[in-house]
Amino acid sequence: MYGKKACELVKEFSSSESGQLSAFNTNLFAQVNEECNFHFHQLQSLLSKMQEEGSDNQTARNADHFGALIHHLSLVRNKRCLMAYVYNRAEVLRSLCWMVDPLPEEIQEKLSSSEKEYSKNHSATIKSYQSETDLDLAVDMVPPKDPYIKVRVLDDIGSVALSDQIANLARHAILFLRRTDAETYISQGLMEELTD
Amino acid sequence: MDSGTWDGSAAAAVTDDYDFLSSTNDAELLKRAWRTEKAAPEILQFEAGLVDRSREQIQLVEETLEELMTSGSDPLTVSLNQMDMDRTLFLLRSYLRTRLQKIEKYMVHIHKNTELWNRLSEQEQKFAKRCIEDLEEHFEKSVLSKLPDRYKSSVKQSVISEEDDMVPEPQLDTYVICRTKRSLGALQLDNSGIEDPVDLDPGDLYAVRYKSIKSLVYSGQVELV
Repeated sequence: MYGKKACELVKEFSSSESGQLSAFNTNLFAQVNEECNFHFHQLQSLLSKMQEEGSDNQTARNADHFGALIHHLSLVRNKRCLMAYVYNRAEVLRSLCWMVDPLPEEIQEKLSSSEKEYSKNHSATIKSYQSETDLDLAVDMVPPKDPYIKVRVLDDIGSVALSDQIANLARHAILFLRRTDAETYISQGLMEELTD
Repeated sequence: MDSGTWDGSAAAAVTDDYDFLSSTNDAELLKRAWRTEKAAPEILQFEAGLVDRSREQIQLVEETLEELMTSGSDPLTVSLNQMDMDRTLFLLRSYLRTRLQKIEKYMVHIHKNTELWNRLSEQEQKFAKRCIEDLEEHFEKSVLSKLPDRYKSSVKQSVISEEDDMVPEPQLDTYVICRTKRSLGALQLDNSGIEDPVDLDPGDLYAVRYKSIKSLVYSGQVELV
């Protein structure tokens, strides 16, 4: 049945948990693309056949006309599905760009090559806005309650000059840090916030 | 002279003054701009002056803080100042972030429409342009380059489409929660044609369609929560 594969593709996206990505379905995606080309060839041959017969495709109401119409509509529908698949995944990617940078390996693995490039480009776009306005927008994701938070360091980071102190960030150390200082490390997965 | 009336109007003037003052306080204005931007489905006018002033204010507090720290004054004062600054910074960052995320979502729609486009700051316009380029490139590589010629557009389904029929737009008839500070008189809230004006009482909360009050949001007479 025409359009079935494209529908599967979109369903696959919509059944995944919102905000999460599953692996890019290269195989199915290529099959839908092939189907598009098949429709186009059919459409072309029907149109040229009608031209040879001298019937006008605006007024003719024969089997060929409707056949061509079906192929056109199937093609357009497939295109919409392909675009929706790519667009919605891009939307998830964009929201990930705001939360983590760079994208962790387990997410990278699920992306197509174009998606990898897109997330890289988009991260750069966000960064360039931040440097133009001279404001770090990746911190302060939640309203501040306390200027200091308790964190555990997850990796050996070493001695770092923070905005108010020089701290030795050794693995497993538990410290009180300025929230804005800590958030950068938290988003990179190098620290975790401890909540009592 | 009737002193009673005079007293009454003086008292009213005092509360008016208070309202006026609290509505011109930048922290209050920023909070309001942030809240409204968060709740509105479409992008609103960029508050350039307010953002500039807030940033100056933050800078000022930062300097005061440093002074306080070096002069070794009461840690509580420092902490309070710090918290105040942190909150303003959060509001500012979140305000700008909310706008950027809205731009990401409706970039093509905003770019096409001059009125919406002019609501963006210069940096936001640059951001939007780059967003569009990034996404077009991604579409081109993933889908469009593999499609036949007449189906290659990213905004139209095929060449037959007369209008751009593949551009995401915000839903303007969604419901929003709003509040007004002063009485605005009777308002006609829908286009059903049935005369049914509604009085928005000051301070009360209403759930109405965004479309019907958007001009009041633009003029700042109504705020969204």
